Amino acid sequence: MDSLIAVREALPYLVQGAAVTITAVVGAMGLGLLIGVPMAVGQVYGNRPVRFLVGLYVWFFRGVPVLVLLFLFYFGLFSLMGLNLNALAAATLVLGLTSAAYQSQIFRGAIQAISRGQLQAAKALGMSDIMGIRTIILPQALRLSIPGWSNEYSIILKDSALAFVLGTSEIMARTHFVASRTYQHLPLYITAGVLYFILTWAGMRALRQLERKTRIPGYSHG
Amino acid sequence: MKKTLCLALALVLSLVFCGITAAETEYINGIDANFPPFAYVDKSGEPSGFDVDSVDWIAEKMGFTVQHQPVDWDGIIPNLMAKKIDFIASGMSITPERAEKVDFSIPYWTIKQVFVAKKDAEVTVDDILKGEKTLGVQQGTSEAEWLKENAEKNDWKFNLRYYNSAPLAVEDVLNGRIDAAAMDDAPAEDAVQKKPVKILGTFGMKEENFGYAVRKEDADLLEKLNKGLKMLMADPYWDELIAKYKLKDK
Repeated sequence: MDSLIAVREALPYLVQGAAVTITAVVGAMGLGLLIGVPMAVGQVYGNRPVRFLVGLYVWFFRGVPVLVLLFLFYFGLFSLMGLNLNALAAATLVLGLTSAAYQSQIFRGAIQAISRGQLQAAKALGMSDIMGIRTIILPQALRLSIPGWSNEYSIILKDSALAFVLGTSEIMARTHFVASRTYQHLPLYITAGVLYFILTWAGMRALRQLERKTRIPGYSHG
Repeated sequence: MKKTLCLALALVLSLVFCGITAAETEYINGIDANFPPFAYVDKSGEPSGFDVDSVDWIAEKMGFTVQHQPVDWDGIIPNLMAKKIDFIASGMSITPERAEKVDFSIPYWTIKQVFVAKKDAEVTVDDILKGEKTLGVQQGTSEAEWLKENAEKNDWKFNLRYYNSAPLAVEDVLNGRIDAAAMDDAPAEDAVQKKPVKILGTFGMKEENFGYAVRKEDADLLEKLNKGLKMLMADPYWDELIAKYKLKDK
């Protein structure tokens, strides 16, 4: 009974935490998209130095744990760069930079799934490389990326719980706070789990919807 | 479709990156919100507790505004050093190691470290120290440091387990994974009121004092805090706070 009361009382507070979580996740996904797409293009079509740089970036951000990156950037690099970011902004930025590494590989896979002949055909019609990539390759590749992208969403959503080490009061941090005050650990962790589940489910559904909406009737790639 | 998506993205990103700088006259107090009754988050989600109320009173008297920011305990001193917070008023024991990095205010509370065990457990402090028991403690605390050092010196055979917060260690006492948890007496009293646990007693660690921590270069702020603390401790409100948070004055 006590546990139910504790959960009911904590719910609005935890839901506010979900809003913080969503902000961080949407921000990180957006940033990852913004950086990830050019990186993928660079890795597939770029010259050697570009491919090397993208490879280096991906190698670094995939190789270092998110927790280490959060500490490294927040307490070290951001301060050195003179960036005085608040905890949420810093966490979003780090999650976004990390996600860019993973997203670039999702997009690279999709770009490589489109046959090279299409770009050659575009060039034969007088298009420049950039135009061909932008108008022929990417519209197809991005559509193909959505399933992989939804995977990335669920991963960032869960990684965002690590953001508390910087003092971001998202779902997990708030759950700890309430549990410390009420000593109702188990029911509160269950509640947090349910909140994450709902967020994952809603995100997946939205992306499914996007996939359906953007489908081109009668089109099959190849 | 594309436009709305871009717009939404821009909106979210700008929301995230606004509010980056705080006003100069406002100080941020970093708290470990997992440390009732000194610092925690109340039912409405607001920072609360003995230290929070104390600092609010001091801020009002000394003429500055203060914001309480929950911070992970492990990262609380790095947060102070990186200027993410301006001081720490959150049940921090004054220790020589910490005093090398930060400056402390005058001591405002004396605390004893105790063992907490299940209510029906038949163990004593001696059993825990000398028997092959498992003991839980919050990492990064002075008691964790002391237990580790003295276990080697005295050849104590307990098995030390580290937790993120004292309440989590108490939870594992209840789960039966550890025989006892070492923690400050005030949060231990808090646990006793809420869960079927009991305090076994002190285990030989010297009494410690809580103080507010500031960066070494912030002598100004330290002076304000010290002055405010002296005023507060001489004021009847101090006893009201002690009663409100069910602390035992010694």
